[in-house]
Amino acid sequence: MELKRYRLLLWISFLSLSMLWVAPELQAAPYYQGKRITFVVGFAPGGGYDRMTRMIAKYLPKHIPGKPTIIIENMPGGSSMIAANYVYSVAKPDGLTIGNINRGLQIAQVMKISEMKFDLRKFAWIGSTASDANAFCIRADLPYKTFGDLRNAKREIFMSSGGPMTSGAQFTTLIKEYTKLNIQLITYTNMADALLAVERKEVDGNGSTYSSLAPLIQRGVLRPLLRGRAFEPEIKHLPVDEDMTTDPVGKKVMAMRSATDVVGRPYVAPPGTSPEALSILRKAFAQVAKDPQLQAEAKKNLMPVEYLSAEECLKSVNYLLGQPEDIVREFKKYITF
Amino acid sequence: MFDAFIQGLMINLQFKPFIFMLIGSAIGFWVGILPGLGGGATLALMMSFIYTMTPQEAMPFLLGMYSVVATTGDITSVLFGIPGEATTTATIVDGYPMAKKGEAGRALGAVLMSSLIGAIFGAALLALSIPIVRPLVLAFGSPEMFMLTLLGLTCISTLSGRGKRGLLQGLLGGGFGFICSMIGQDSQAGVLRFTFGQLYLWGGLSTIPVMVGLFAIPEIVNLAVSGTAIAGDVPLGKLGKGVRQGIKDTFQNFWLVVRCSLIGSFFGILPGVGGGVSQWVAYAHATQSAKTDEERAGFGKGDVRGVLGPGASNNSKEGGALIPTIAFGVPGGPGMAILLGAFFVMGLVPGPEMLTKHLALTYSMVWTIVIANIIAVTVCLLFIDRIAKLTTIRGNLMIPFLLFLCFIGAFSSNNHYGDLIVLMVFGVIGCILMRYDWPRPPFILGFVLGRFAEINLFAATLRYKAHWLYRPKVMIILLITVAFALAPYILKKRRLSNEE
Repeated sequence: MELKRYRLLLWISFLSLSMLWVAPELQAAPYYQGKRITFVVGFAPGGGYDRMTRMIAKYLPKHIPGKPTIIIENMPGGSSMIAANYVYSVAKPDGLTIGNINRGLQIAQVMKISEMKFDLRKFAWIGSTASDANAFCIRADLPYKTFGDLRNAKREIFMSSGGPMTSGAQFTTLIKEYTKLNIQLITYTNMADALLAVERKEVDGNGSTYSSLAPLIQRGVLRPLLRGRAFEPEIKHLPVDEDMTTDPVGKKVMAMRSATDVVGRPYVAPPGTSPEALSILRKAFAQVAKDPQLQAEAKKNLMPVEYLSAEECLKSVNYLLGQPEDIVREFKKYITF
Repeated sequence: MFDAFIQGLMINLQFKPFIFMLIGSAIGFWVGILPGLGGGATLALMMSFIYTMTPQEAMPFLLGMYSVVATTGDITSVLFGIPGEATTTATIVDGYPMAKKGEAGRALGAVLMSSLIGAIFGAALLALSIPIVRPLVLAFGSPEMFMLTLLGLTCISTLSGRGKRGLLQGLLGGGFGFICSMIGQDSQAGVLRFTFGQLYLWGGLSTIPVMVGLFAIPEIVNLAVSGTAIAGDVPLGKLGKGVRQGIKDTFQNFWLVVRCSLIGSFFGILPGVGGGVSQWVAYAHATQSAKTDEERAGFGKGDVRGVLGPGASNNSKEGGALIPTIAFGVPGGPGMAILLGAFFVMGLVPGPEMLTKHLALTYSMVWTIVIANIIAVTVCLLFIDRIAKLTTIRGNLMIPFLLFLCFIGAFSSNNHYGDLIVLMVFGVIGCILMRYDWPRPPFILGFVLGRFAEINLFAATLRYKAHWLYRPKVMIILLITVAFALAPYILKKRRLSNEE
């Protein structure tokens, strides 16, 4: 009897202890197990934002406990403002909706665009999966080897851009205004047409995202002369646009514009998303960015992936939005949304 | 070069690439038929599947789908008056009236055969132009592109109605289309125009809801009012015979088909212009083949030539659009932009390498266009009897299905309720135009060309000031434009003086 009781006690203790140890998967599983995450992409299928999101969505589930299904919903319009408004005000804050929005919305908030129904600072930030460096490039067949050569140019320098509100157009406009280069910016239908204008020598160069210009740089058609604050390793050695001006206001304005490059591919969740869900998503994004399969695919796609944490993103956003009124006024003179 | 040409064919005839091409063609068949589900969006969805494929498998898979879309898009345009794709709208103008007259088989036979010839022509042009493709694309700068837009706009006069006020109606319609193209952010300063505080309108009006609203909704309303089937009470006759007649019509108007294929290829080569314009220029050219006023008056009421022209140009433009895409990495159209992404995934860099190191793969793309279209047209012709019989189904049974297609097609543009509002607004406009016998194609031409003309005029003027007007190619295109605009009047005068 004594032995029987002792054995019973032993079994009860063993069972109790084993219940305390729960498999790691089970600890997080209850939240995303059997669930579906929707990525709301603020652009049409096939573009850069969409392709990046689809690439990430392919590998993300294995980094989220419970391995949820992921679907992509394209919601173009208003430079992704429609998608951002939706994620902010309509989507439930249940960790099942993630918005991929235009990094240029930071500028929209600086400009206080009336159609904007959200505050970027109040989103539940997950992070950014790339920074988008800008490079100011001139045709390699022209005699300008450095930015100094351009300052001494005796004629107008014609630069193409893929649209008036693109980061490239903003980047080039600020260089024109604050370095006093004799630049004429010519806008084309889209980036592809802007680059074709370079190839047919209708324009002298293009200042845009390095990822767009890389094929022409690699082929020797364009020569990069200047960059913004954000950089890729290949253009790290170039002078920074802010250093080309002595105007302190100009430096600040250029730094503001560069801040949007740093947060190149923002991913946000609705305000009020639970801290647990947010933590899982942030961790998953940080891990997926290091995933060797994703990195290999990103390399193939010429779309580098590098995770920037939510804190870093918010730091950049707060920097931009915390500028004094006089700097914002100066910024608004040249930058449109 | 010939070796690469044959190698390209051998690539496509290998087992796996051939199977993938068949699968792609099957997908393209349904994508083309379903309005709104564009080839471009489908390409984006198919991209997920190509990561484990070799380039020799991925390209036939993607291009097999994309090159067939315009072919089967014409089917919906003919049978229901709903454009299967934005680039198949011009086919409705004469194709749908033919279906209403009980000649659906003939229209389908004509459009399918002309599509096939157009596809082969476009592919052949791509193959032959490889040695000169780079200087060809680089030859057209912003001034030349603007002049080509003007050339396209002169088609308004040809597409206008007949009678004393026909040209005025056409010009007013084209002008209204131009104004509608201005909606959204302007291309130079980003100023918002006619957006009325609506985010949806920032990017301008989407083409699909506008075209579907303008052409399909009035026809559905007409169907509801008439209370009959699409083919009315006209006996359908032997459909097989109609199809054979349609194929015969294609070869009887062979040189028209070739000329329209040339138009499609040419506009396909010009980045950004694409099928939205080429179909209307081809249609306008087809109407110019009318020898008498009575013949000319038959266009818009079911003249088979009105189906042959757009059918040929829609498919030939795909081969043309591949030229700047492969040679420069500059998409010849929206779908090509996504195909470009596929190039990068495959490790292919568009540019000189595609014309040298990967020439065999480039030629395999040529063969894909040809083979995929041959297969698609053959399959369509086998089932055409059954397909054409849809026009005999009672109207009140078809209308819910057609409306469903219209609304789904429009909504898929932006996944926004604004697309449905645009569809209905332009549906009302289309009904009014139809009721008062105003032509609708001039509006579409102004709408499609407006923004393109604006951007190129600005670019040309900023870059060259007024000197762009004196460029030799600009002067040549201007002369062609004037000739194109005056040709109907000169020919008419000559005819009248001959009759006297």
